[in-house]
Amino acid sequence: MSEQRPESSGRDTSDEPSMEWLGALKSDADDPELQPVDPAVTQAFEAILEEEQPPGIPPAPAPAPGPVQGPPPAAEPEVLPPVPEALSTPPEALSGPPPQEFTRALAEERTTGPQPVRGTGPQPTYEPGFGSGPQPAYGTDPQAPFGTGPQPAVGTGQRPLPGLDTGALPVVPSGDPGTGQFTRAGSGPFPSGDSGPQPALPAPNQPPLYGTGPLPAIGSGTGPQPAIGGTGPQPAVESAPELEAPAFELGTDTVAIAAATPDRPQPYVELGMNDEEYRRVRSILGRRPTSAELAIYSVMWSEHCSYKSSKVHLRQFGDKAPQTDALLVGMGENAGVVDVGHGWAVTFKVESHNHPSYVEPHQGAATGVGGIVRDIMSMGARPVAVMDSLRFGPADAPDTHRVLPGVVAGIGGYGNSLGIPNIGGETVFDACYAQNPLVNALCVGVLKHEDIKRAVAPGPGNRVILFGALTGPDGIGGASVLASATFDEESQQKRPSVQVGDPFMEKLLIECCLELFREDLVVGIQDLGAAGVSCATTELAAAGTGGMHVELDLVPLRDATLRPEEILMSESQERMMAVVAPDKVDRFMEICGRWEIPATVIGAVTDTGRLVMTWRGDTIVDIPPGTAADEGPVYERPLAPPHDLGTLQSDTPGRLTRPSTGEELRRTVLWLASSPNLASKTWVTSQYDRYVLGNTVMAMPENSGVVRIDDESGLGVAISLDGNGRYTRLDPYAGAQLALSEAYRNVAATGARPLAVTNCLNFGSPEDPGVMWQFARAVEGLADACQYLGVPVTGGNVSFYNQTGTTPINPTPVIGVLGVHDDVRRRVNMALTSDGATIALLGETREEFGGSEWAHVVYGHLGGLPPLVDLAAERALASVLVTAARDGLITAAHDLSDGGLSQTLVEACLRGGLGARITLPGDPFVTLFSESVARAMVAVRPGAEARLAALCEQAGVPVTQLGITGGDSLQVSGTDQREIFNIPLAELREAHERMLPSYAD
Amino acid sequence: MDAARVGVITFPGSLDDRDAARAVRLAGAEPVMLWHADHDLQGVDAVVLPGGFSYGDYLRAGAIARFAPLMTELVSAAKAGLPVLGICNGFQVLCESHLLPGALLPNAGLHFVCRDQRLSIENADTAWTTEYRAGQEIVVPIKNRDGRYVADRETLRELADSGRIVARYLDLNPNGSQDDIAGICNEAGNVVGLMPHPEHAVESLTGPSTDGLGFFTSIVKRLVNA
Repeated sequence: MSEQRPESSGRDTSDEPSMEWLGALKSDADDPELQPVDPAVTQAFEAILEEEQPPGIPPAPAPAPGPVQGPPPAAEPEVLPPVPEALSTPPEALSGPPPQEFTRALAEERTTGPQPVRGTGPQPTYEPGFGSGPQPAYGTDPQAPFGTGPQPAVGTGQRPLPGLDTGALPVVPSGDPGTGQFTRAGSGPFPSGDSGPQPALPAPNQPPLYGTGPLPAIGSGTGPQPAIGGTGPQPAVESAPELEAPAFELGTDTVAIAAATPDRPQPYVELGMNDEEYRRVRSILGRRPTSAELAIYSVMWSEHCSYKSSKVHLRQFGDKAPQTDALLVGMGENAGVVDVGHGWAVTFKVESHNHPSYVEPHQGAATGVGGIVRDIMSMGARPVAVMDSLRFGPADAPDTHRVLPGVVAGIGGYGNSLGIPNIGGETVFDACYAQNPLVNALCVGVLKHEDIKRAVAPGPGNRVILFGALTGPDGIGGASVLASATFDEESQQKRPSVQVGDPFMEKLLIECCLELFREDLVVGIQDLGAAGVSCATTELAAAGTGGMHVELDLVPLRDATLRPEEILMSESQERMMAVVAPDKVDRFMEICGRWEIPATVIGAVTDTGRLVMTWRGDTIVDIPPGTAADEGPVYERPLAPPHDLGTLQSDTPGRLTRPSTGEELRRTVLWLASSPNLASKTWVTSQYDRYVLGNTVMAMPENSGVVRIDDESGLGVAISLDGNGRYTRLDPYAGAQLALSEAYRNVAATGARPLAVTNCLNFGSPEDPGVMWQFARAVEGLADACQYLGVPVTGGNVSFYNQTGTTPINPTPVIGVLGVHDDVRRRVNMALTSDGATIALLGETREEFGGSEWAHVVYGHLGGLPPLVDLAAERALASVLVTAARDGLITAAHDLSDGGLSQTLVEACLRGGLGARITLPGDPFVTLFSESVARAMVAVRPGAEARLAALCEQAGVPVTQLGITGGDSLQVSGTDQREIFNIPLAELREAHERMLPSYAD
Repeated sequence: MDAARVGVITFPGSLDDRDAARAVRLAGAEPVMLWHADHDLQGVDAVVLPGGFSYGDYLRAGAIARFAPLMTELVSAAKAGLPVLGICNGFQVLCESHLLPGALLPNAGLHFVCRDQRLSIENADTAWTTEYRAGQEIVVPIKNRDGRYVADRETLRELADSGRIVARYLDLNPNGSQDDIAGICNEAGNVVGLMPHPEHAVESLTGPSTDGLGFFTSIVKRLVNA
């Protein structure tokens, strides 16, 4: 495919949702002009609401369990719910008591096969313990020495489980003040002393489970979950019983109503659509869309999901793709897959979660990790490592102290709990990210060639199964509405719409999916990310036989009051959708049950070419899925170089005073080593587990992360993630190529052959011609360079609207390069370890300071042009590094990039705890601090000097002897052999390692 | 002679179970994966409770896992002398099960901490430490969120007096544990809880050292000699 397509998960939900559009939808539904109004019914309904609801508390969810009752109060009237004009109750309240009984009745009626098996019974309402709501009153454990430690009342296996059919209320701890949803709780069959979440799903042939998790039943869901999704034969969709909508269900906008009310005004503008897009939807459907359809189109055609502004440029990645046999799956799937030999394949991808991480740093970053991990899982792979590329405002800015620790704790808290090692990344500070941090997360997964899975829904009759966490009101509309919002004072109001992650559920999902894959139980799979069910169903259907029928009321809910539009757009985390052959559904459910993961058949694949969704028996969606998934609008936005670019480029760093004396140079080395961007990031990385899975061969601060894939052969991969917003600001075409060059070089420095590329393109608003020009140039530069270097782009992500007010961030393409180690035991570290080794500089140093760390740190200067790109030299250098590693010619290698040779020497010395005596071959300042590309420092294995020199000569790589390892200081002399300066390692270490903790703690 | 069989229990949320199995294998024993929801120890000769976040550890680390069906069998077998090593989350589960005294609280800095940690082996006579010398210094990774060992003063004194402190942190106490305690054992010495991760220091390729292998070779040797 020639485009980068949004992933189901496009978790950059970049962008969080305001809830305003919902109000719009609801007020639309509530439009008295369009609804029959029966004052009597209305009064009755109001009375019911008043009676049942303490002030300020939303309507109770389901009533007590027990035999199926008719839908509660409002069930009697058969007419559509009327809405008086004067009604002042908020729309939310009007959706009334949730129709669980109703839904359950429906489900029971339709479950013709065996009664719901494990995995489908009443679901517990468990929610991660983060944040919200009071903790259930657990009993105390008298034995705990520290007293209050709540002992879980959750099952010891002694308590009877709720019967599958009783619709038992999942627990509300008595005495729990509730979260506003619990007002009617407590009538379940449990002893009132019981508290804690109820176990779900008994596993096969087992005594009652002893609990599904320590999760207090906080959160919004309550009420019995319908016994949905039986594993028995799926009822024929055609035979859907005609069930009347309960009267309290206000204004479900059905296809029939839409056809009959062509002129009803719709809130498409609030949903981020323009007039033309809305007209197009009407023309596709031949009528106005229902509100559910509008929700789907608006979110699928959002910038975030449709790539409507970037598509025309991203095509270059396909058009210019280099010839390669390595690519097994290219762009367009959840992630690209590359062949790494021995029957193994690797899939990797990076995605942004920028805007949520500003609004709520911990959860924003955590769910960013969760999303990219699910993308990798949905390719059929086991996730084996994550990395993250982070950008914040100035290190000493007050808001950075809010955002940075939250983001790091979020990434760590989620990734560590998943058991996926975090092996590297970058942490960069710059004022341009002050109100728009960048949080880009990468995941890499490993699989066998034959295990590749696709996001397709082929085979009419195959079942569509939603599994994982329950659906709640998380990040509703996130992908669409907030994606087009930039941050301003109102962003505080958007806080509630950030999704909350549950890494425990994700860990179970990983293991469950791998077991499902092992038994070959799925024909297609897709994770749910941005745009949730909308995205998964349209994309699966569009890529499959073309049709799908979904009964939306079968989606298991955490909040039973959700309306269909909300279910369609919910971005609740930790959910996946699978397409499963009917005869494999039972086994599928069994495995989900073993992992205690709720799974529900919500529909089936059809050959109608239509995606049809029903809600309480009414058809609310009937669209050709491809029109939403693939045929969104495409814009060629106007481009123009930013007006200040000329001024910026002509303001070269030549005017800046340079250090010249030994003392000035010494101070500059220490200054840079202790500056936020170059200082040790141990404070960050020590909060990540780099060891879990036992295959991490290299991790930060090494050049790249390296993980072993195969214990026997030593096959492994190296990955580096790099970007430079300052370079890209000065010259976007070159900046993207420089980011690629650096990542490529970093991978080669470990001894790995660079193989493939992923990218996360972080830019300002595409509606700004200057930004769009930066984007177009950067994409062009990246595509050209990938073609030249022979490394295909396998996928990626675009994040627009990274700006505050009208000021965009520095354009920041973050490039991930993946390389292969045939044997990771041959990898080369950056540490100087053995005394007496020759230190050599590979590559040519020019006087290049535009966009350099030196100019940035010392003068806060950004101007001139970035270092000259030299892809031929990059390729030659990489070939030398890879061969030298393979042949054992070098004992250390470290690339030169930000901060130049100075920083490379500091890091290599400190990493190995060994000093070096260096003789600078040219102008000391230029040699130490220039950021010329295609350079690396190596320590040569004693005796291999001649072979390395011959290798370099053959490849045309200049090689310069710099000095020798040894001692406990970094000692630097000039060509005249006179010492310029000498810095004890202890002093270097203090400077390098003190910075971050001093700001962050 | 058949290799010793060492069980590794997987709870929902266990993370280092495969790593523990690899360490067992590298030590020369046969790893046997045990499932939390079974009631069957499969006749293993020893058991490792691996690291991780069982049940997400949303409540309190190890608090839910101790109620796993298999723990019923494990607790009685441990009391009868079955060698058990709890690593990290496994240590937390052993404390929650009262096979070991004390508790593990959130780290003093409230951050997850991952670092290469120097330790001293204080007791080289437990079932899991005979391959070390008393006082031997080793480096193994530590990585945890809730690693701060606490107990009342009397328990601490008793642990110290009876030589039941198995390992202490050197250089830097990463989590605020009382008396720098990194690991303890029960009175019989067959049950050991350890906050650091010896299973991540069994190969020079992937660990900071191979110092951790001794825990696993200790048990293998003991079982073979038994």
